[in-house]
Amino acid sequence: MEEKKKKRSSAKTLQTAREAGYFGKKMLARTRSAVEAGQPVGWAMVEWWLGATIAKAMGVEMVFPENYGAFCAASRTAEANLDYSESDGFPSTLCGYARNCLGYTRRLKENGFVIPADATGGGMPKPDFLLACGAACDARYKWFQALGRYLDVPVWLLEFPQTGSREYFLPGNKEENIRFMVGELRSFVSFLESLLGRKMDWDALAERLDILFKTHALAHAVDRLRLAVPSPAMSTDFWALMIPHLYLPDDPETLAFYGRVYDEVKYKVDHNIGAVPNERYRMMFAELPPWHTLGFFDEVAERHGVAFAFESWNYHVPPPLPAGEKEGIGDPLELIARYSYHKFHHGADAGVKYGVDPIIFTAPYLEYVQDYRIDGLMCHPLVSCRPATYTLMHLRNVLLEKFKVPSVVVEGDIVDMRVFNEEEAHAKMDAFIETMDYHRELRRKEGLNW
Amino acid sequence: MAEEKGLRRAAEIYADRFRAARELKEKGHKIAGYFCCYVPVELLSAAGFVPMRILGDMGEPVTVADTYLPTMMCPFFRSCLDLGLKGRYDFLDAFVGVHACDGAERVSAVWRSYLQYPCVFYLDTPHTAHDHALVFFQKQLGYLQAVLEEHTGRKISGAAVKEQISLYNRQRRLVRELYKLRQVDPPPVSGTEVLQVAVALLQLPVQEGNRLVEDVIAEVKARRPGPAPKKSRLLVSGCLIDNIAITGLIEECGLRVVMDDTAIGSRTFGHDVEPTPDPLKGLADRYLAKIVCPRTFRETGKSRAEDLEQRYAYLKSFIQDWKVDGVYLNLIRNCDIHGYEIPELKHYLEGLGVPVLAVEQDYSTAGLAPLRTRFQAFAETMEID
Ligand code: SF4
Ligand code: SF4
Repeated sequence: MEEKKKKRSSAKTLQTAREAGYFGKKMLARTRSAVEAGQPVGWAMVEWWLGATIAKAMGVEMVFPENYGAFCAASRTAEANLDYSESDGFPSTLCGYARNCLGYTRRLKENGFVIPADATGGGMPKPDFLLACGAACDARYKWFQALGRYLDVPVWLLEFPQTGSREYFLPGNKEENIRFMVGELRSFVSFLESLLGRKMDWDALAERLDILFKTHALAHAVDRLRLAVPSPAMSTDFWALMIPHLYLPDDPETLAFYGRVYDEVKYKVDHNIGAVPNERYRMMFAELPPWHTLGFFDEVAERHGVAFAFESWNYHVPPPLPAGEKEGIGDPLELIARYSYHKFHHGADAGVKYGVDPIIFTAPYLEYVQDYRIDGLMCHPLVSCRPATYTLMHLRNVLLEKFKVPSVVVEGDIVDMRVFNEEEAHAKMDAFIETMDYHRELRRKEGLNW
Repeated sequence: MAEEKGLRRAAEIYADRFRAARELKEKGHKIAGYFCCYVPVELLSAAGFVPMRILGDMGEPVTVADTYLPTMMCPFFRSCLDLGLKGRYDFLDAFVGVHACDGAERVSAVWRSYLQYPCVFYLDTPHTAHDHALVFFQKQLGYLQAVLEEHTGRKISGAAVKEQISLYNRQRRLVRELYKLRQVDPPPVSGTEVLQVAVALLQLPVQEGNRLVEDVIAEVKARRPGPAPKKSRLLVSGCLIDNIAITGLIEECGLRVVMDDTAIGSRTFGHDVEPTPDPLKGLADRYLAKIVCPRTFRETGKSRAEDLEQRYAYLKSFIQDWKVDGVYLNLIRNCDIHGYEIPELKHYLEGLGVPVLAVEQDYSTAGLAPLRTRFQAFAETMEID
């Protein structure tokens, strides 16, 4: 049994990736100590650095239930929570992370808000507020609203405009979007000030933002190093490495860590060391991985020389803000708004160029596929995360039509391992290899340069 | 042959809404298709379009859209795109997508990536009715107006928008009057008939629609229903219902649909647009703040009890005014907006002493048969009560 479990989690090709799990545990432990010390704690959705950075600057420790969902899934302890949420009337079709969290919180409440002794990773303590987010999916505010059933704490919803690719370029629209976000962030600061009975520490915020931008600059530089052939890292490395830059980018320890990540990847690129010996195919993965069975990717690499060279748009840092947008902005809230908005809309040019929407989850891949010289896309439609699944079929149509890049569809889930059939997934991959060969030829004939 | 009037006319339009659209085209009308109840039809109408709500078809299996959308998403929107890709909406002259829910948002994007129309807009819709959100939404409506003007080559005056607002306000008031007629027992008009009227109104030029409801009201008022068997009165809440197969099934099972809280019903026809110097402000307020749909987040307040009141108090008045005996929570599979609501909504309604039946369905007439026993059992429980 233990043997089997080991095999299923990924070996990872980077030393730094093997160390990255520390950050998730640190985040959880910090919130627990904060509660013991009488400090406020919040639960947040991934909100692309909009609100958690602000809350942390006000002395609140933040933890992310989505990340906790992945943690429970990876350690295969989510099932009991899923069942427990369903038995309280939540439909089984809801997001797996959400059901994990709803089940966990129901247990927490029934235990008088003392974390159950067997809670995965030491557990998340009761929060003082919930920070929901309007970006990417409905679950990311409906789920927190639904937690009112167990928690009775206020929910703040951070707005996040999402524009169409043509609308992005309507005169003045982008600035309207940003003005809206800044206004909302100001209201969020007031909400926190009245909840916590303390004033915003603007200097602390500026300091955190400075670290965040430095960390992200390194994370982006690592992404660009991955353009190299052979690929110096795998998607499985990235999924571990993204935890610190997504959840703790404003922490000096993360910044130092990313310095090491950069050095390690750079060394491999400089010395032409591939993550996969004899790399033969470069694949891309969309969108959220099967956390419970990451070892699958190692096996695919071993069997076919497939390097998963890039992946998961929504977990990546955006390209740096264009200089013109960053310089001269004195208001940290505006800087945050511009940056998060940029994360969601950096694909707008590609969207218009190829006549494809949405900008999120789709348009950025039109650039990745060319930049990373991708031979094939692996789509992972999820049973319980629809937003990351809605556009996968669309994406594969577009990649095939515009770039002659084929895709393979392997169904599964982020949390529920019962729906991931590993043998079938391998059979599909085995058959897909020839398809990639065939399309390579097609691309050559059409004058596409990879 | 004289054209049908009132309920028969509504039933006729309901039965073949594409024919109704083609007839409008033949008369020289331009048609703007749009999703959901968050697109202000007043603006489309002021620009010279007949607004037409894009709906799916529960009776038609999804085939073409399978290549474009995964199976684990809202089957209503899968059906809409399926019809679009099959060319059923080819007569549209404009398309307005909207960020009402994930399904609406992503299908708006996929739709416009494959189906081209002379005029296209995507209306971003905030998730809250915060002050900043209302200002932002008003600006978005300004962009919609500008895109419509650019397409038609003529300015839309404030007066033209106000005129449409007053016509649509009239329509909403008329529909509410029709709804009120159902407060008596037995109601003189069935849930199925009201649904046919609502669907017909979503396809018609506003003035024609207003005449239709006036005729329907007169017809319903003139009805003299004789003694009828006592049946439990039902409020239908949740995901939209655009097919009489569902209301028909419910009514066959011994229940009467007397009120609804859905997107082709009270969410569309409740609340007027207030007159404001800039009509876009009145529109923004009505569409974003006044429509109560769980897709818009309401502030949680100081406690869970306050939160529940802010979200559901309107249902309490529906229950009182329409003398509701039970509530059917209609959930289309994979709908997050309504799915997350189920336990709290049930808790709230049962707290009011009203029994609740929550059913997850697949937006397919073929899949309705197994629901019959559930509705029958629900009707029986209420009889015992
Ligand atoms: S539905 Fe998907 S995107 Fe939304 S919270 Fe769940 S995992 Fe995240
Ligand atoms: S059923 Fe749900 S997901 Fe589908 S359109 Fe309605 S709100 Fe959106």
